[in-house]
Amino acid sequence: MSLAIAGMGWVTPLGSGVDSVWERLLHGDEASTTTISEEFGDRSYNVFRVPELALRGTAHPRLRRASAISRFAAAAGLEALRAANVKLDAQHAERTVLIFAISNGGVIYTKRFYRDIVNEGAQSASPLLFPETVFNAPASHLAAILGISGATYTLVGDGAVGLLAIKMAEDLMANEAIDHCLVVGTEEIDWLLCDAYRRWRLLRAAPPIEPFSRQKLGMILSEGAGAIVLARDGPLTIECAHPGGYFAKRAEAVEILKRILCDLGQSEIDFVVSSANGTFVDEAECRALKAGDPNAFVYTAKPALGESVGAAGLWQVILAAQALRSAELPPVLHAGAPVSLRLPRSRTPIAGARCAIVLSCGLNQQVAGLRLAIR
Amino acid sequence: MAQSSNPNGKKISVRVAVVAAGVVSPLGVGLAETVDSLYKARDCVTPVTRFSVSQCRCKTGGQIPDDRLLAGQNEGRRSHRLHRASHMMIQALKEVLTQEPQFEPELTIIGTTSGGMSYGEHYYRSICQAGDLRHAPTWIANYPAQKPVIDAQEAFGISAPCQIIANACASGTNAIGHAFECVRSGRYQRVLAGGYDALSEMVFVGFDSLQASTPEKCRPFDRHRTGMVLGEAAAILALENLESAQQRRAPVLAEIIGYGISTDNFHITQPDPSGIGPRQAMERALQSGGISAAEVDYINAHGTATVFNDAAEGKAISAVFNGVPVSSTKSMMGHSLGAAGAVEAVFCLLALQHQFLPSNINFTASDDDLDLNIVGNETRPAVLRTALSNSFGFGGTNASILMRSFKE
Repeated sequence: MSLAIAGMGWVTPLGSGVDSVWERLLHGDEASTTTISEEFGDRSYNVFRVPELALRGTAHPRLRRASAISRFAAAAGLEALRAANVKLDAQHAERTVLIFAISNGGVIYTKRFYRDIVNEGAQSASPLLFPETVFNAPASHLAAILGISGATYTLVGDGAVGLLAIKMAEDLMANEAIDHCLVVGTEEIDWLLCDAYRRWRLLRAAPPIEPFSRQKLGMILSEGAGAIVLARDGPLTIECAHPGGYFAKRAEAVEILKRILCDLGQSEIDFVVSSANGTFVDEAECRALKAGDPNAFVYTAKPALGESVGAAGLWQVILAAQALRSAELPPVLHAGAPVSLRLPRSRTPIAGARCAIVLSCGLNQQVAGLRLAIR
Repeated sequence: MAQSSNPNGKKISVRVAVVAAGVVSPLGVGLAETVDSLYKARDCVTPVTRFSVSQCRCKTGGQIPDDRLLAGQNEGRRSHRLHRASHMMIQALKEVLTQEPQFEPELTIIGTTSGGMSYGEHYYRSICQAGDLRHAPTWIANYPAQKPVIDAQEAFGISAPCQIIANACASGTNAIGHAFECVRSGRYQRVLAGGYDALSEMVFVGFDSLQASTPEKCRPFDRHRTGMVLGEAAAILALENLESAQQRRAPVLAEIIGYGISTDNFHITQPDPSGIGPRQAMERALQSGGISAAEVDYINAHGTATVFNDAAEGKAISAVFNGVPVSSTKSMMGHSLGAAGAVEAVFCLLALQHQFLPSNINFTASDDDLDLNIVGNETRPAVLRTALSNSFGFGGTNASILMRSFKE
């Protein structure tokens, strides 16, 4: 069953607004890094943060005490609904499903809540912070802002969770009682996440992210949100969402990726939006893509925007949709040594492009994909 | 009944069978121990031993003994590193596959609220207190919410993609409900669905900070109720297109016949006092199942025993139903959060199979404001055909599923 993308919203380290961020990517812009420091050590990390200006106009009483992750999600979700021209009156609010894709969740408040317990004891735990630590807090805030009275789901996973959320939307829209699904992926940064990924040897100390490099020097974390409104009809469609699978060992990821590419019809597509981020993911995707059609362009925006984990899948879908709409691909930044993939190294016209695949290989064992098309 | 289309656009609505179930909870490991505990209305809430609760109001919880959890599991190094939640999921899935070794799911949908939270606690505490971080990579790798599900699947060679639903305390029921809809739409033949959560200090202290948990006994719907106690559990149901199950002669334990979900936007931690959210979820489940309220023989309530939650749910139940027997089995084992809906679905399954009403223990007196037929303190034999299970969570998520004894 294909679903139409009726509207999109985007909050990124390059600012907010789909058209604005897309223009910057086409111009080869790269987000600026900010340095954040550990609370207990002397280490610091380079990250891509959402500029404060990007959240202008999203103030709402419900978000007064909410963490950054909820504010990013609200901004992206509201932009997507505006773009789709969906007005949520009581009837539509019941027939609209909200699906959130989350990976690390509200880590800032979670850490703060637990820090008080560790340092001061259980009696100092804040009843105001605790509800914000729950994975579905961002979804509940947006549901309240929109007045959604039907189904709200929060899916948790790794970088593939955004595509799994779209797969869930595809399944839910089989029910004719549902008119729209608003799918939102969101993530916030904290030094604790940087430390965790560093200990896992997936983080790079400073930019750039060098995609498809043999050295796998690591990624830079980022934050923000992406949102899409899915409807039944429209010129831009998600033809098929593939739930992929999981890998027990990293070396197994390539086989799942190959299966996804085969099932999604790699030979008929014009370009692939990859999740390459400077880690083991790049090699897995490179090997899978090379085994299929080597003529398709392969694009990754992670050198420009960073690795936003829970938001990443939605960002990739927005990128693919924008590339199909505008018939252009932005340059892949910092792709050093020649690789045997067809990377657009400068702004590249793709006139007549009709189909794209989005691949998402997560860092914690999950892999998924989907295929987009434009009429 | 909601109409769905299969991938070819054809309108269909298939029946959904439960062909196997697995459970591990404070009531026991496996269905046999669980039904025995339910029959005996055992109080399985004990003093918390997993972490210090000296500064908490509440000092009890429903815990699974380590020796029971690890019995029969691989003693290898890898197994030793797995989170407690992974061991719980492995036990539950093992029981499912013991009943149905040929069950090959196309999708696995599991609810949880906190994943491998205690490993996150170890990690942060070690950083905070300059402690030993040698095990940090293991803690970090085993912290994500999908990991226990993947571990369980990997243990038994199942390769299905996993969707992890984190809709707070409604997660388990949402997982089963969504799995039901996936099968009923004809898009999937076989789906595993369930939930898990292991006790963790942060969540325990969190509910304590909200004064939602009680220093006393957990007394759902009681006039003197003072709050909840937490628990831990994992449960999995194997759902299959009924026709497919019958073709391969799989035993049909029961059917899922309806699912309702609603969101009330009253407050992030409190239900709308009118009970509108739970009421909509129950009404939508009835509508989805195409049955009337009078056809429901038993309600396994969310029944956390907090003043506000029970009041809202009680109001909603009495508005929709007329005198149906109600119990909250959380009185026996505590609230297992993301697992609760899945565990309570298994309890409904056992009640239908064995024809009894599970008990709402620690019940002392009816609440004058609630017009409910509570199954107080003792299990009752009953003729049951249809059971409803409720789960409601933070963020205003409400979910109900309907289960029915199987008849051709």
